[in-house]
Amino acid sequence: MFAHDFLEEAAQHNALLQVHPYTKLLLGIGSIILVLFTPNYIVPCFLAVTLSSVTILLAKINLKFYLKLLGIPLSFAFMSALIIIFLSEGVTKIWSIQIFPWFTLTVTEESLNHGLHIFARVFGGMCALFFISLTTPMTDLFGIMKKLKVPDLFIDLSMIIYRYIFIFMEKARQIYLAQQMRLGYTKPREALNSYSMLFGSIFITSWDAGEDLIHAMDCRCYNGKYAKMITYNPVEWRSLSAVSLYLFIIIGMILWTSG
Amino acid sequence: MDPLIELKDLEYAYPYASPALSDISLCIQKGEKIALVGSNGAGKSTLLLTLNGMIRPDKGTVTFHGKPVSYDRASLRKIRQKIGFVFQDPDVQIIAPTVWQDVAFGPVNLDYSEEQVQQAVSDALHSVGLEGFEKRPPYHLSGGEKKRVAIAGILAMDPDVLILDEPTSMLDPAGSEDIMDLLDELNHQGKTIIISTHDVELAYPWADRIILMEKGRIIASGTPEEAFSDKELVRRARLKTPILLELSQELKSRGMKTPGTLPRTVLDIIRIIEHDHHGSIRLSDNGYGTIHVGDVDLISGPQIQAILARTSCDTIGVMGSRAKICARQWGLTPDISYAVIDKCILQAMNGRTSLILTTGGMVTRVFERVTLFNQTNNRLIPVRSLIGSDKPDDLSGT
Repeated sequence: MFAHDFLEEAAQHNALLQVHPYTKLLLGIGSIILVLFTPNYIVPCFLAVTLSSVTILLAKINLKFYLKLLGIPLSFAFMSALIIIFLSEGVTKIWSIQIFPWFTLTVTEESLNHGLHIFARVFGGMCALFFISLTTPMTDLFGIMKKLKVPDLFIDLSMIIYRYIFIFMEKARQIYLAQQMRLGYTKPREALNSYSMLFGSIFITSWDAGEDLIHAMDCRCYNGKYAKMITYNPVEWRSLSAVSLYLFIIIGMILWTSG
Repeated sequence: MDPLIELKDLEYAYPYASPALSDISLCIQKGEKIALVGSNGAGKSTLLLTLNGMIRPDKGTVTFHGKPVSYDRASLRKIRQKIGFVFQDPDVQIIAPTVWQDVAFGPVNLDYSEEQVQQAVSDALHSVGLEGFEKRPPYHLSGGEKKRVAIAGILAMDPDVLILDEPTSMLDPAGSEDIMDLLDELNHQGKTIIISTHDVELAYPWADRIILMEKGRIIASGTPEEAFSDKELVRRARLKTPILLELSQELKSRGMKTPGTLPRTVLDIIRIIEHDHHGSIRLSDNGYGTIHVGDVDLISGPQIQAILARTSCDTIGVMGSRAKICARQWGLTPDISYAVIDKCILQAMNGRTSLILTTGGMVTRVFERVTLFNQTNNRLIPVRSLIGSDKPDDLSGT
């Protein structure tokens, strides 16, 4: 329930932490956009494999952790793809089964291609998304938001939320453990009761934390400002050109496969 | 001398509760090291919060630099910049997602320019020994590191007075000693420091002045020896007598003569016992051990290592955050990191050689302390300054 293997935890320790966030965002977001223009499943699969290797080999993210993480969205995508494969229309019939007299499941070449394509797109897109979240911690993104002129109010709020997620998570873990020790989750009814109590105390804790926060800010002469200047290592031309080259290759592949 | 902060007849009660402070009058001088000691709920935190205007007393006045504190927004900002407050729980105080941003919080709100903010933050991180932690998120830090970040956040605003509510309550013993050493260092740089604690062993040797509190009242204010000697007061404040004081009281009641002052450190108690033995208990054959003092800014790691390889140093002590960082970088494992001078004098009296690594002004402090000890006790403990030179075994005296 209170998994400590957060994405953020992994991101803070990844081997590409020193690379400028612009470079990493260009690769991640660029791949996500390009995956939408792919005509079939070949390019998305290529994207998924290459981005995963970058995440695992270059960013040194634990393989088991990565697969576990990827498993969650892919299981959803797999089920959706199955439904598309069996239910969407097509001309060339490959295989069919009649379950009820009035209900037949049919796989056609078109539906198979369609399903595979959707699955591959999700696969590639998720790999790109995980590449961003596993190599670029939130703390780096705040600086980028500032550079991209996101309103201060939004950044300040997200920074405070970011800071407190971890505090409340820890608090929730402690309460949960304390409840477990007193057998709070042995019966379903009791579990429901304990669970509601847990959320009640988290609510009170967050209320208190809010008041403490105001005191702490007052104590430090709060005047509506939150420090945001975040310094990065300069953009490295080598990595930036590698990323650009990669994206051009993808564009080329898209043009070639759709041609 | 005019007091820096003066409290007069303060009274305060939280809503729907019995009075938290009553009849509080207190003068705080510049450069003092004060420990506010009392049991839980004695009103220590409340008193500290009145000092920087976080709590407005129901009655009485708070004066800072001779001027009564007024409670409008602008004056409060000014006073909170000058009187920094470090909360007990660093998780309450650390508000930003990274160390750098948190330390910069105060300076940014004081409208410093970008360069000034950079400078203030790097200076503050430097003085608490947390360089290189800028991009770390706070939940990755240990308790002691979080406490340091909290202190750095206050130091970055360059206050004259530092108030710390229970600075060591969440730290392990080694972490506590580190923080107390840091507070000593800051005090040495001219900051007035006020802490609250119920750890008598910690407060007793550290503070210049102890203020005992009980049920919202000050029941004693004086030197640690005075404040803790009165058994009745200690009992009323629900504390206990520091072990060294108790030991000396017991020795006295058994007829051992105690010269002059009451003991505050192990060194003092050894002196008392020695005095009763007419001179010394035991001196090693080669007399006193030498205390070497090295300034980490003037000496390099390889030089120190070469010196250590040639001379036999029984004990290495480090004083101050910078010296601690250097020692870590040079691969030295210090034996002492708190109350270093006293412990090294003890070593010297036992015929052991020791090396103290420290920085700048603290070097003179070592010399002063040892010379004073030699004068008052008729001793001849040699203290030498290590000077970095090409010849590694050059232990030139000063």
